[in-house]
Amino acid sequence: MFGIDLGKYRTIVISIALFLLFDLGVLVLNFFISSEIASDAVNVNLAGRQRMLTQRTAKLTLQLQNRAEAGVPQEVELKELIGAFSLFDRTLSAFESGGETASGDGKPIRIAAVDDAIAQSILAEARKLWDPYKSRISAVIERGRADPDAAGALVVQAEAANLPLLKLMNDLTTRVEELAASKATLLRAVQVAGISLATANFLIILFHFIRHLRESDRELERARKETDDILRTTQDGLFLLDGSAVIGVQHSAALEKVLGTKTLAGRSFYDIISPAVTPKTLDTTREYIDLLLRHDVKEKLVASLNPLECVEVSIAQGPGEAESRYLQFGFNRVFESGKVTHLLVTANDITRRVRLERELKASEERAKGQMGLLVEILQVEPATMNQLLRSAQEGLQHINRQLREQGSAREVGGETINAIYRITHRIKGDSAALGLASLATSLHSLEDILTGLRERPVLSGEDFLPVTVRVKGLFEEIEAMHQAVARVAQIRGVISVEAPRPQHDPGVEALPFVKRWKDFATRLADEHARKVELGYHGIDMETLPESLRESINSMVNQFIRNSLVHGIEDGDTRKRRGKPEAGRISVYISARDDGGVDLSFRDDGQGISVSKVREAAVRAGRLTAEEAAAMDSRRIVGLIFEPGLSTRETVDEDGGRGAGLDSVKALVMQLGGQIRIGSTPGEYCHFRLSLGALPSLARTVSEDEKEAEEAAA
Amino acid sequence: MDEQQLRIFVGIIQHYFEQETGRPAEVGSPYLCDPSQLPVHDFTGVIGISGNRKGCVYFSSPREILREMLLRAGESDVSDENLADLAGEIANTISGNARREFGHEFLISVPIVVRGTHQSISVPRDVRAYVIPFRWHKVDASLVVSVM
Repeated sequence: MFGIDLGKYRTIVISIALFLLFDLGVLVLNFFISSEIASDAVNVNLAGRQRMLTQRTAKLTLQLQNRAEAGVPQEVELKELIGAFSLFDRTLSAFESGGETASGDGKPIRIAAVDDAIAQSILAEARKLWDPYKSRISAVIERGRADPDAAGALVVQAEAANLPLLKLMNDLTTRVEELAASKATLLRAVQVAGISLATANFLIILFHFIRHLRESDRELERARKETDDILRTTQDGLFLLDGSAVIGVQHSAALEKVLGTKTLAGRSFYDIISPAVTPKTLDTTREYIDLLLRHDVKEKLVASLNPLECVEVSIAQGPGEAESRYLQFGFNRVFESGKVTHLLVTANDITRRVRLERELKASEERAKGQMGLLVEILQVEPATMNQLLRSAQEGLQHINRQLREQGSAREVGGETINAIYRITHRIKGDSAALGLASLATSLHSLEDILTGLRERPVLSGEDFLPVTVRVKGLFEEIEAMHQAVARVAQIRGVISVEAPRPQHDPGVEALPFVKRWKDFATRLADEHARKVELGYHGIDMETLPESLRESINSMVNQFIRNSLVHGIEDGDTRKRRGKPEAGRISVYISARDDGGVDLSFRDDGQGISVSKVREAAVRAGRLTAEEAAAMDSRRIVGLIFEPGLSTRETVDEDGGRGAGLDSVKALVMQLGGQIRIGSTPGEYCHFRLSLGALPSLARTVSEDEKEAEEAAA
Repeated sequence: MDEQQLRIFVGIIQHYFEQETGRPAEVGSPYLCDPSQLPVHDFTGVIGISGNRKGCVYFSSPREILREMLLRAGESDVSDENLADLAGEIANTISGNARREFGHEFLISVPIVVRGTHQSISVPRDVRAYVIPFRWHKVDASLVVSVM
């Protein structure tokens, strides 16, 4: 319509136009009919006046006759007769064929011919009566006076015409009134029809549009709710920026958390970020946003320039404490009619991601650094290493005390430097002796600084700053080595439970309990057509309390039996596997510093077959086939300590009842301790038992044994 | 924090004393200190550091130093409020200079002033802090740098 796209308002505009059209139609008709009624009213008045003029004319003819007979002047009556006569005549003519006459107040008035047939017939009859009457009157008027004869003849004419004319004028008045009334009725009908149409139109508009508006409202409400839900629940900070970089009225709830600021709507984006970013970043951000708002610049081209891709901001946390957070802002253009009107901005707190990336990087760096360190550490006995690290740490603490005791003295004595130098040199020597090149290099660099300081005639406290910085670095280096040593110990524990090797004391082989074990092993070996050698390292069992001694003896016997029955292969098999013909059993017992006892029992037999244990567990009804299949190897191996479980299919005096290792487990539980098993199929089986701390044992450990332990720890 | 960066902090303090009092502060030999044993005097201005490194730097002075500085500056009001204000001014100077020197490396917070014990000073745990003793007007103060 008129080149304007009315869209969804088209119908309502048409309806309102119709409404106005109806109103206008009613108005025009009203105007037209009203003017008709007005002219009819004039006609009614004029017709009424015609009645009056017939009477008046008749009356004047009688007065004129009286005057003529009395012979008195008759000018006044004659003049009045002329007025009445001519007014009647003009009005009659005007009714018949339209024309001018005088209104009630004497002013000229033009009226249209009465177009009603009935009225015209009345007028025609009136004309017939009027014309002879008019001739008589005209003759008198033309003479200027009336003699008694002429007056008498006029009276006769008047008497003949007066009543019929009066009646006709009366009829005309009535007819004209009827015409006016019928027009008023038409006017009312038109008004009623017009108003009805307008009302109907209004009702259509009302119902149609209220329904549409309600639907629209519902849709809007639904859309608003969806938007609200999105903005309330999204974890991203979402908001719109207008052309002046002002934040829109709506934004996601998460935005306040991300930016750490409330009341964001309507505020300048720059004002919000300016306290958190550098002035340079702020300037670049302005330029970037300006570029994005220009529709002639391609978005993809400028995307890589985003200065807020990862921006670090500082958030105050408490007294003197600030937390660094990393925010990421993403900008997308919002177009309307091909023009960029807004920018949709997403703001995210990526602190966790950034920190993880950095930690990963740092961890990789550390790992690289530690590799070299690990190689050095692996070449040194753990106990020696620990001793060196302890000694180095103490040395550094001593250096730090020296520095601290200087306090804020302006001049520092040369003795302090010498003392620090001595400690540094000692640690360096120890490190170099153990092949710890990196530590030795760091210490050497500290020595260089100290040498430089020694050569200065006067020293101030500040001159010691590089020393303190190096000492801190050395503390950290030594802590890293401690960690590496701990890690190596862990790795050793995972790879193998190889018992620490004590210095060999040939005397222990001759101890009575060792001899008994050797005899027992040899006897069993003979019975099973095997060859075996049992070796022992460790403490004299006689130093242990009797009950513990007996328990250990019992456990070792069980392990020997287990080895000969399940572990050590026959000579041929061993040869095939590249092993010495005689199986080797190593037993080691040591007392720990905490008063506990460690027992290590190892044979170089065929090891534990996980599949055989699994089968045995199913055979013994301990597990279903499915459970056994699902269970991991560690737990399966653990089953060999369960009562009634043997991998041996036949029973004899030495095995097959599954009643051997469960007794070991029972003893360990009784003493308080734990069992670890290490085994490689076809190579070895190793049981390592840590038995509970017994205060009485601690005292029995000799100094030599302690050293042996440390060396092997 | 490396040697160069520590020297910048030391330089800021020295320059401040020299500028304000005409008498430089003597620097003692720096040492390392566990977080639980850090020296804290009567008034301490603390600056938080975040970013690649995290922690704080503080300058802690006994009231004698601050009082003497006020008196020398012609200020007769040596109430605790005024002493705290001066401690805040020193911290502001450190913070402002540090921001200029390290703005691209760390984020440096607006300083705050803590009175008395260091319970309300939050320093990183498990980090040996550098303590740099200062002596001015025969009284000891401390600059502490504890950054992870």
